[in-house]
Amino acid sequence: MIASVFGMELRRSRTLIGWMAALSVAYAGIMTLMYPRMAESNDALQAYMKVFPKEIISAFGMQNGLSDVGTFFNLYVFSMLWPVVAAIVGILLATRPVAADLDRGFLELPLSARISRRRYLLAAIGTQFVAMLVLTALTLAIIVGLGPLVGYPFDAGRFAVAGVLLLASGCAIAGVTTLLAVVTLSRGVAGGLVAGVLVIMYLFNAMARIDTSFDWLSYLSAFRYLDPVDAIDTGAWPVQGLVVFATVAVGSWLASLWTFGRRDLIA
Amino acid sequence: MAQVIETVGLTKSYGQRRGIVDVGFSVSEGEVFGFLGPNGAGKTTTIRLLVGAIRPTSGSARVLGLDTWADATRAHASMAYLSSDPGYLGELTAAEQLDYLASLRGLAKGAWRRVAERLELDPSVRIRKLSRGNRQKVAVVQAFMGHEPLLVMDEPTSGLDPLMQREFLALLAEAKADGRTVFLSSHNLPEVERGCDRVAIIREGRVVDISPVQVLLGEHWRSVNLVLDTPPARGFFDLPDVRVLSEGGRDIHLMVRGDVNPLLRRIAQLEIRDVAITTPDIEDVFMRFYDPTTREAAAPGSPAPEPVRPATEPSEEVLA
Repeated sequence: MIASVFGMELRRSRTLIGWMAALSVAYAGIMTLMYPRMAESNDALQAYMKVFPKEIISAFGMQNGLSDVGTFFNLYVFSMLWPVVAAIVGILLATRPVAADLDRGFLELPLSARISRRRYLLAAIGTQFVAMLVLTALTLAIIVGLGPLVGYPFDAGRFAVAGVLLLASGCAIAGVTTLLAVVTLSRGVAGGLVAGVLVIMYLFNAMARIDTSFDWLSYLSAFRYLDPVDAIDTGAWPVQGLVVFATVAVGSWLASLWTFGRRDLIA
Repeated sequence: MAQVIETVGLTKSYGQRRGIVDVGFSVSEGEVFGFLGPNGAGKTTTIRLLVGAIRPTSGSARVLGLDTWADATRAHASMAYLSSDPGYLGELTAAEQLDYLASLRGLAKGAWRRVAERLELDPSVRIRKLSRGNRQKVAVVQAFMGHEPLLVMDEPTSGLDPLMQREFLALLAEAKADGRTVFLSSHNLPEVERGCDRVAIIREGRVVDISPVQVLLGEHWRSVNLVLDTPPARGFFDLPDVRVLSEGGRDIHLMVRGDVNPLLRRIAQLEIRDVAITTPDIEDVFMRFYDPTTREAAAPGSPAPEPVRPATEPSEEVLA
């Protein structure tokens, strides 16, 4: 029965995943095609960037220069596109099976059948994980796949390491949203809270980079840990980020399962 | 006979808001049990407690001996549920929706076809394109597609046309004939009158009466309209449990409670042009328990009301 719920959740998610995948592939593909021009214009770009204060350059993570593979893809794809895609998918998929389906009067039908609440939610969580995995894999695949065509065969292993970090971050967003959806039973409240907190976290991280006296703010921001530059440039595992995101994701999902099994379900 | 549903002191409060208070009843195997009350009386709260969607504040509800909160999943294996105004997935066809729910109840794919044909439901249409009535058909098909020993239904005929309501009552009768137990919440009084063995009436969160439908109707007054050749003498109808509502010449309107034979014998002494005796419908009975105006004074043309049982004092059957 958990397979039936998982299959139905996947089916209901295919349009969203499809569109987000198309967006990610198109955007990441265009950025990959642009990379050679950036690399070839490195000297001019470096001279141009000297116009800006170091703090601003640092705030946007460009201190290594835009010809650096890790810096380039982090700036244009992983810290720009990915948080938006992960937030949209995470919020929509995590709030649907609990809050949205309860509100529309659907949830009580499957939950009055032979499947337990926790197994039901577990199937929905499985769908969130698969969606994040598919989007991460496609985004990385287009970069690595197009690399040789533009004369830059990127290291697939290093991008895979970065991909694990992206996947973990997406799961963390989905996990926290699931927990908020289970607690509030409101798609609007849960989704709005997550989106708002993500924006605030982004600003915290930027402020901490601009002014070192605000460095403590970065510890309150998930974006401090969403930094795959070293992974792409050196293949080093971003252990700190992985631990933070995986802990938040798994902890939130477990708390969601526990709470969902115990609370009243009334729209 | 085994008890399929048993609630004891079942209470649910939503903070300051009243839900239900000290609801106790039992439903026997093979019984069709009606649960009557207006909107907001506590019908849906009771049903949500029976299907384990919400946790009781105090008391307990059991289905086939299983606590509906602590053993919800096991209890669900014996239960088919039709919720009030279910929101199906609009992007699916009725067939896909029903197959999905069938799979969660351990039923074979297409288990719903027989009932869908009876209700003339086109299963190939997407739910979002179905009318309100056809969506309700999907709900009824979903409830009757399995063979669980207990059917719990919340406002099952809401939105169905009279023909489909009749088909629903036929399905209900077949379920009863198969030995299945039905708990049916409704404010459709004729449906309850025709389909149920016993009725509980809930008012402001409390069960105020539980009686067999026939007893509930039998205890009530009947209306007798006579057209006579000659007006009778004043006091001619002075009999126990008979009230004369109007004696305007040859047209007489009487009300009689219980045994009608003494009145019929008295009427037989007269030359009668026409006579009509009508039984009350369950709405009259229901209003006796709910409507404050009928509790205080009879409406024109209606019998004198009986005193309602105090809300805090359940009937003997409730206590039993």
